[in-house]
This record gives sequence, structure tokens and C-alpha cells, in this order.
Amino acid sequence: MAAFNIGADDLVDNPTPRVPVSLCLDTSGSMGGSPIEELVRGVNLFYDAIDEDDDAHDSAEINIVEFNSSAGLVHDFASIERLERISSLTASGATAMGAGVNLALDTLDRRKATYSGSGVLYYQPWLVLMTDGGPTDNIDLAVRRVVDLVEAKKLTVFPIGIGSGADMNTLARFSPNRPPLRLDGLKFKEFFEWLSKSVARVSRSTPGDTVKLDLEGLAGWAEL
Amino acid sequence: MSLDVQLLDPVEFLQPNRRLLIDTNIFMDPDARRAGGLKRLFERGQDAILENSNPIVVPTKVIGELTKQSRRDPSREAEERTKVAIKKAGIALSFLEDASKVGLVRKDLGDDSNPYADDLFLRIFERFAPAYEMCLLTRDITIKLRIRLLAHRLDKRLLTGVVTKDGDLEIESDQSLFDRGLRKYALRTSNVAEGNGNFKDRSEVASLEPLLEQFRQALDLKAPEAKAGDRPAKPSAPRGSSGRAPTAQPFSSTSKIKPRDAVLAFASLPTEGDRVSWESASKSGTFLLGSLLGEGGEGSVYQGDRNTVVKIFDKEHVTRHRKEKVELLVRSGIQAKGLCIPSAMVCNAAGEFVGYVMPKATGREARTIFNIRKLEKDFPTWNKSDLVDICISFLEQVQHLHSMNIILGDINPKNLMIDDRKNVFIIDADSWQLEGYPCPVGTPMYTSPAMLGKTYADDLRSMEDELFAVGTMLFQIVMTGQFPYMRTGTDGDMVQLIKEGNFAFQYENRNNKDQPDGDWKFIWSHIHKPVKDLFWHTFHKEGKRYRKRPTAVEWLGVFKAYKAYLGNEQFSFDPMSNSVRPIRPKAFKPDTPIRDCPTCGRKHAIAGIWNDESQDYFVPSACNKCRGSSVRGAIPARSARAGLDPPQPATATSTGKTRVSALAKQYGIASKDALEKLSALGEFAKTASSSVGPDAVRRFETAYGAELRSALRQRTKALDPSRRCARCRNPFITYGNVEWHQRAGKPVPTTHKPGPGGTYPPGCFPPSPSPRGSTTTTSTTSDNKPKKKATKQQQTTTTKKKKGFWSWLFD
Ligand SMILES: Nc1ncnc2c1ncn2[C@@H]1O[C@H](COP(=O)(O)OP(=O)(O)O)[C@@H](O)[C@H]1O
Ligand SMILES: [Zn+2]
Repeated sequence: MAAFNIGADDLVDNPTPRVPVSLCLDTSGSMGGSPIEELVRGVNLFYDAIDEDDDAHDSAEINIVEFNSSAGLVHDFASIERLERISSLTASGATAMGAGVNLALDTLDRRKATYSGSGVLYYQPWLVLMTDGGPTDNIDLAVRRVVDLVEAKKLTVFPIGIGSGADMNTLARFSPNRPPLRLDGLKFKEFFEWLSKSVARVSRSTPGDTVKLDLEGLAGWAEL
Repeated sequence: MSLDVQLLDPVEFLQPNRRLLIDTNIFMDPDARRAGGLKRLFERGQDAILENSNPIVVPTKVIGELTKQSRRDPSREAEERTKVAIKKAGIALSFLEDASKVGLVRKDLGDDSNPYADDLFLRIFERFAPAYEMCLLTRDITIKLRIRLLAHRLDKRLLTGVVTKDGDLEIESDQSLFDRGLRKYALRTSNVAEGNGNFKDRSEVASLEPLLEQFRQALDLKAPEAKAGDRPAKPSAPRGSSGRAPTAQPFSSTSKIKPRDAVLAFASLPTEGDRVSWESASKSGTFLLGSLLGEGGEGSVYQGDRNTVVKIFDKEHVTRHRKEKVELLVRSGIQAKGLCIPSAMVCNAAGEFVGYVMPKATGREARTIFNIRKLEKDFPTWNKSDLVDICISFLEQVQHLHSMNIILGDINPKNLMIDDRKNVFIIDADSWQLEGYPCPVGTPMYTSPAMLGKTYADDLRSMEDELFAVGTMLFQIVMTGQFPYMRTGTDGDMVQLIKEGNFAFQYENRNNKDQPDGDWKFIWSHIHKPVKDLFWHTFHKEGKRYRKRPTAVEWLGVFKAYKAYLGNEQFSFDPMSNSVRPIRPKAFKPDTPIRDCPTCGRKHAIAGIWNDESQDYFVPSACNKCRGSSVRGAIPARSARAGLDPPQPATATSTGKTRVSALAKQYGIASKDALEKLSALGEFAKTASSSVGPDAVRRFETAYGAELRSALRQRTKALDPSRRCARCRNPFITYGNVEWHQRAGKPVPTTHKPGPGGTYPPGCFPPSPSPRGSTTTTSTTSDNKPKKKATKQQQTTTTKKKKGFWSWLFD
């Protein structure tokens, strides 16, 4: 009988505590060409890795927010089982990073409210912010929201610069606890592999536990 | 102060709605104060017995025991007492023979396959409690306690007593029974402790301990002071059921923690293919490490010799504590199936301690059963009683360790493995707490509120901390992974949830608005009441066991009762209670109509909902899932922009009898009467699986089950032309309604019932106006409980009585 209606109770059927992860990605014009292709490949690899890990498979819920001249939702939160791999992202326009981060935070808030309302246990969410440039809109509000959440231990944030044009000073404002990292070349693959392992590690802990990130693993993809 | 005993006239218990039974020991009673009582009992009762054709029951088992006694040779017995007993048995037998000839005694009842007379009486009482009030005459305190406990659970009048000299039934109060039970327990325990205990003493101790505790709780009796004091893991606890090594001595129950742990020096850590040396309590040798089987937080596990594995610690975890603990365990000689206890120390080539050998666990990590989808996929045939078996197996292991003064400490699903036969294996012995060595690791979800602020490695866990983890694990096993403190409106902070102690699952009349969404409330609703009680009291901050948590032995008691309950259709009459995933509340009464869902085909998915106004059941046309999904909409599947897709419509079902018959034929079922034959899908499965295999049946079920059932449903709605109203001679009742009455064991009505507004069809005049109300609106309550409005005095009393019984079973 299990075969009936399997989608309907996805969220509440699974008692495993969730890790909501929002990928907030820069898809401005400058990302065109191989950066965006590598990014798409990296994201799909991330999905595959999560899918294959027994623990992360049941816990991770991922969404993608993109920002260029404005911000938009590529797909909302869903368990890995329900996520199709992305076929492409289009690079064009400016870098509305403030709007992108605000949208990502809004979606995270909504997801937490859904968990809370349905009685599903969760870990504090993760925000992955990736950009190859600097913001073209005002980021003050977004920065304040992120910093408040991080300081209240309600968010883990990973600001990642792509290429030499990434404005690391801006990214640093989003990261009160640790310096932002710059991707080594186009090592998206290595980064997302590391990210999936980190998500898996969280899934193996229990909510409330402090999880140590694998800092040694950073060496595989970050320029130090 | 209530009276300790109460006297009843035997005639009272010979009325048609009552039954009187006698146990062997009454016939053998040596007490002169009661001599001649049985004779008086029969003299006083015989008229009533014959008038009501209600002979006193002396089961075959009792006859058998008396026969065995009487056949012993008195000349070979030294003790006078025994000689008297042999004679007594003979007299009793010939009396019973005569009495049964004249219809005063019934001695053909019983089941000789069960070697224990106690169990037999209990079974008889369980089986007939719904039908009769019963009284057992016996002198055995244990069976008395059992029956009184059963009476309490079922809210039925089930009594036990002895016969006085005058033939009265002497019924003892529960408190007095309990006190006597304690004395018996103390006596047997001291026999055992002094080394004079025989098998009977040991088994009595083992069964009395949980029984007395349950009895005390259930009847809310006072516990004696002395017993409440000695809570920490005590060595007196009985051994588990099977094959335990009787020689092993328990560890000391010290509460003094050892000095801090320290890493030991070593030259190198062996890995796959390396030669290591081993040393057990009596032997030593070397072997090669086999392939890597798994990695944990503290070490790697390799295949060892034959049925063993070897754990080699990581470099930070080769520590003094681990070495000394492993040494203690190796030397203890404790062995039991399912406990992966170190059997030998393992050293590297330099002869330094690096790990240990243990038995290999089989099966898979408990996590599989903590995810309902995985469970349904990996163990499609399992039902609730299989999960209860796992709880029992887990508890037997835990209880055994506790009896050795070992605290598991880091109880969590990763340290349990479960095989296909539902045996639980406990691994990670090196983390156990014993002899003052702490368990240095832990898992927040299983950490008691008291332990939450502490450092696992620096504090010893108390038995209370341990029992919190045990309770949580049990809850998660029967609730397929749900966390006891899950509720809506949390901010995901598990530590906070544990500290709050706000157990949100519906209990008795408490507010339940925080229960988590999904089927959890239904899964919970079907759990056996005594288990529910213990969970609630353990986890809710207002519960009686919140600070004094149930022991493994106590849990064993209620889980064994749960198992028995699921196997007894009289009590567990709702077939969905045995499902791992109930999707509706438990049916409230045995006569609740229960149907398969015609839309989705889920078995037993629909239960009638009691309607106050019509005093009848309303049967929804589809199950919760089918009704719910049209409202909620499905979660969009596999889409890059999930959330934008329209909900998928339910697969259209339009087909006729022909297609069903054709398919039935294809699957090997005679087409002529396909519909008849498939009248229950269960039957279909039976017919088909023998000829075409379970896979085909499943495919058929998925594809056409719903259609079939809907066709059948059409039939259940149709009037049965062969039955006609006794007043107006017209067909008046549907096939479905006829079956419903038959299934509920009720007489099928013979006339029209009043329709809306108390009206009858033309030409059908009832003899007197209906006393009932005139509306038939359905009550909108979501539970299935009958809420009777009692108007007459007499109705009030019966309703009240029933309520206690039902609320015990079904709340
Ligand atoms: N007795 C055993 N039999 C079979 N496999 C085992 C046994 N003990 C451990 N394992 C495997 O090794 C893994 C790690 O063991 P565990 O004792 O849990 O490590 P740690 O305590 O270091 O976390 C387990 O998940 C399991 O797969
Ligand atoms: Zn249905």
C-alpha cells in the first residue's frame, strides 16, 4: 500500500531532522561562459552526493535563489528525492546581491515556519552565498539580517568568492565568524563535494549539537 | 481503612452472567480453618448451578494436576504432609467425577498444550472477560495479582478468592493482595540471595518483580518504603530469558568515577591484512585482520576470525579507560546472543593494546526502521507486532546488561543492529559505563534532561539517565522513528524540547493541539493503552514516572502484554492496530464498521464514525488519505521549479467488469465468478499468490485493486432482494448492511428502520412510534468515539461502565 500518494506526506512522513540549505547564486552577466557551466555542474554533483549519502539523503532540503538584475527562486525547498538536476542557469544583468540574500533568508524563514507548524525537527539552516563580483544594490539590510542570525546561532553562512573579481570585503560583511573563502580557480566540484560532506556530517549529529566543520577539507577548493 | 476481605455468597457467582472457577490448590488446601468449605460451597450452590445450567469450572489442567498427585505412591514418601496431599488429591478427583456427572462441575474446559496452569486461567479470563464476570478460587498469589491486574485493565469484574469454612467466597482487597505479593517476593528473593533458591524461586522472582510494580502503579497502591530506596542498577534483577551464562558475576555498582582518561602510546595501528595478536580470558594467538566492515567515531571495524569482528581504535581513542574496560569485559566471561561483548584484547605487532575482538552482529542498523518508507520497503510484511518483538529483544539485552551493573550510556540507533528475525544486537561495548569508567560519548536525543548540561566523559550516568534513553528508544521503535518530544511550534532546538518535558501526543482528555502533523497521531492512537500510559508518565513533566523512570523489567512487562494484546482479536479488534502505519484513529468499539478504502485500496482504512444523533455509525466513502489529498493537493514532483506545477490528478478509474474479469483470468483466476471470488482482496491474494506469485498480485493490486473494490462497493450499496421487510414485504436492507450485522455478530434486522424525521416508507407501519430523535446529521468530530447521550437512569450506568473499559483499551 505504500505506493499510494507518496508525495503528499513527504514532509511529515519522515521524522528525520532536516537541514535546510539555501544556495544563493550569482547569475549576473559576468558569470557567463564556463563559470556558470561549472557552477551548474557543481550544483548537480552536490545533489548527487547528497542523494547517495544515507544520512544526508533523509535530512537535506535544498533550494536555489539566483540573483542578477533582480532576485528569483530557481526552485523551492524539497527533499533530494524530489529534486531534478538543474539543466542550466542563464547569466545576464547586474548583481542584486542584497535582494538575493534577502530572498534566500525569506525562504529559509518560511521553511522553518513550515517545519515548526508541522512538527518536524530541524537544524539551523545554512546559507551558501556565491558571487564573482560586487553588489549593485544596497546590501545593508541583508548584511544586518545575516549577522544577527549568525550571532544568535540561527544560521551558518558560507560566503564564497568566485575568481579574482569577487569583492571579498563585501563577502566578509556577511560572515562575522570566519573570513570568506575564495574558490580556487573554478573548483566548484571540489567545493560542492566538501559541502555535501559537511551536510552529511550535520545529518549524523542531532539538532542542538555543535558540529565542527571539516576545515582541513577546505584546502581542496579554497584559495588560502 | 477499607476492609481487607469481603465475603460473597457463592450463589451470586452462579448466576448466568457469571462464572466460578477452581484452581488445584483449593482442593489441596491444608489449612484446617477452611476445612469442609468446598463441600458447603457445593451444597449452597447446587440449586443455582442446576437452575442456571452454570456448573463450576475445573479446567482439564487442574484435573491433570490432581491426577498426577494422586498417582504418587504414598508408601515411598517420607513426609506426612505429602502422604496427606496424595490422599486429598484422590478424594478431590472422585468428588469431581461425581459432581460432573450430575452437572455441578464442568471439567472439559482447557488447553493442555500449555504447561502452565496460571497461563491457562489468565487466558480463560482474557477470553471470556467480555462475556462474563468471573471469579477464580485459588491460593496462588501470583495468579491472583495477574487476574486483578487484568480486571483493572479491562475494567471488568474479575475476582479471585478462597472458600471459607462456611462455603462463602472470601475476596481479598487489592492492597492486601499486593502486600502479600511483596512478602512472597521478599521470601523468594532471600532464598535466591542466600543461595537456597531453586528454579521455582528464581522464576517467581523474575515474574513477580515486574508484576508487583505494574500492579502497584495500575491500582495506585502505596509502595513500601524499603523498595523505593534501592533504585540504582541492582544485581538482584533476574536474568534474561535465553541462554545467559549463569556464571558471570555482576560488576560493582560504584558511583565513584575513575580518574580522567588518557591516550596510550603505541607504535602503529594495524589495518586490513596486518597480523595482530589476541588474548582472551583463557587463550591467546594471532590472526590477520580481514576486510574493513565499518568506521565509527572512535575506530574501524574489521572482519575477524570466523564469526567475529575486530575493532581497532583511532589514534586518539587508544586510551587507558578503553583498555581497562575491555580487559574487564573480556575477563568477566559475560556472553549472550546479541551482545557484542569483547571476547579478546587485540595488540599490534609491538604487543600494544589497540582494539578488541567481539562477536559479529548481523542485520542492519536500527535506522532502517526509523524511517517508515524504508521500513515499508525493506520489510514489507512487518506489522506492529514485529516492532513490538524488536522492543522486547532490545529490552532483554538491556535488562541483562543492567543486571550486570553495566550502563550502556550511548544508546542510539547506530549502536543497535536488527536482523531479519528481529533479533537486536548491541554494539559499541567499549563505550559502556562500568566500574566507574564513564561512557564518554552520547547523543543529545537520548540524553536525559539532568545529563544535558554535563560532559559525557566527565560524569557518570545514573540509572535514571540510562532509563531516559531506553524509553526514548522504545518510543522510536514503536513509533517508527518519531521523537517523543516532537510537537508543532518548536524552533528545532532538541535540547530545549527535552528540557521542557512537554509530551504532546494525545493522552486521555488532555489538549492535543501540538501533535505533529501527518499520521503520527494515528500511529500513537493505536498503541496499547498500558504502553501509552507508561510513555506518557515517563515523558510528560507531570507524569508520575518523569523522575522515576520505568526499568527495563517494567517495560518488558508492558511490551509483552502489548504483544499478547495484538495477538488477541477479542481485544485488539481493530485490524489497523497491527499495522506499522495506521492512517486513522483506532476504532472505538468492536462493532465499529471497518472497510477497505474503495478509492485507494488501503486495507481497513475506513472506520465508522459514531453519530450521536442517530446512535449509529456513519461510514465515510473514502479513507483519510483520499479525502485529504483532494483538499491538500499533492506536493509537486520532480520539477526544477517545484511549487509551480499543478497538483497531479488522481489516476482516472473507469473500467467495467469485463476488464476486471479479463485480468483476473490473466492472473489465473476463473473469470466466470471473478467478482464473487475477489469479494475480499485478501482472498484474492491468497488464491492468486499460490498460482501466480506475490509480485503479480502486487501489480494487480496496484493497478486494479481500487476498481475491484469500487465494483464491490456498488454491490454493498445495493438492496438484497432476497430479504424483505417483515411489515411491508419489500426489499429493505443492502448487502453491505447485512454483512455489517453479520460481521458484528448481531441479528440482521427484519424490518425497515425509520428514515429521516422518523418516517417509514408507505405501507410499512411500525407498531409504536420511535423513541429516537428525528435528525440524522453526522457528528463532525474527527475521532470515532461513541458519545452516547444517556437519558434514562439505567442507560447512564451501563454507559459509564463501558466508558471505563473502552477508554482503557482505546484511548
Ligand atoms: N560487532 C559488530 N558486528 C558487525 N559490525 C560491526 C560490529 N561493531 C561495529 N560494526 C560496524 O562498524 C561500525 C562502527 O562501529 P562502532 O562501534 O559504532 O564505532 P564507534 O563506536 O567508533 O562509532 C558500525 O556502524 C557497524 O557498521
Ligand atoms: Zn483511500
